[in-house]
Amino acid sequence: MHEIQEIDQYILREMSVEDQLVFQARMLSCRDLQEKAAHQLQAHALVRRFAREAQREKLAAIYARLWETDAAFRSEITAIFQ
Amino acid sequence: MQEKEAQWLTNIYRDTFPQVAATVHRLGGNLDTARDLFHDALVIYLEKRRNNTLDIRVSVKAYLTGIVKILWVRKFKQDSRQRPLDNMEEQLGIPEDFYAPAPERATRLLHYLQAAGRKCLQLLQAFYYEQRSMQEIARQFHFRTARSATVQKYKCLEKVREQVKNAEKYEEAIA
Repeated sequence: MHEIQEIDQYILREMSVEDQLVFQARMLSCRDLQEKAAHQLQAHALVRRFAREAQREKLAAIYARLWETDAAFRSEITAIFQ
Repeated sequence: MQEKEAQWLTNIYRDTFPQVAATVHRLGGNLDTARDLFHDALVIYLEKRRNNTLDIRVSVKAYLTGIVKILWVRKFKQDSRQRPLDNMEEQLGIPEDFYAPAPERATRLLHYLQAAGRKCLQLLQAFYYEQRSMQEIARQFHFRTARSATVQKYKCLEKVREQVKNAEKYEEAIA
């Protein structure tokens, strides 16, 4: 677990400047570590993408509920796009 | 707490969407576009609020409407010289990776990940995106301790990282 945790600390900028420099130097000399860090960064991006999609689904549910239950909201919106 | 948050979000939605819809309509958009852009604007707003990077000097309604206008210009690739944004984009601080087009690969990978490990993704989402503490996550996902939730979090992250690596290998092979 240590390595993945360490890469996370690097990605999330939770390392001291000195440790960052050491880590960068290690990446330069170790292709495997470099690749793992790159893939981990992409994994973070995917999690963000997944989370944003989940948030959009929640918002769509709010819209649907308002549309169903709030007649004033529905008519306001309908009037705009008539 | 979550119920309060949901009610707060519903109130913002109720108060702001009609104004956003009218703005998008004036720009020539339809209801679907208004809804999509508004949801994107809310996602940005909520992220910044959660990260404590929200620096707004206007009402939430004006802020969201401003973001929607920027997203509209971006979406329809209109010449920003014709529609001056008054440095609004910079001021509103839309996250760098928000515009990244959904590459086919990422979309494919995402679908695969969703099917393969939704629980894992939810756990990762709770920590990395919602920025909840490991104690809170342990309670939500029924782990005995924060430590065991942390171990699982890294296992999940490793799983996602492996998928990324395999997808890359696969793409190299078929290229």
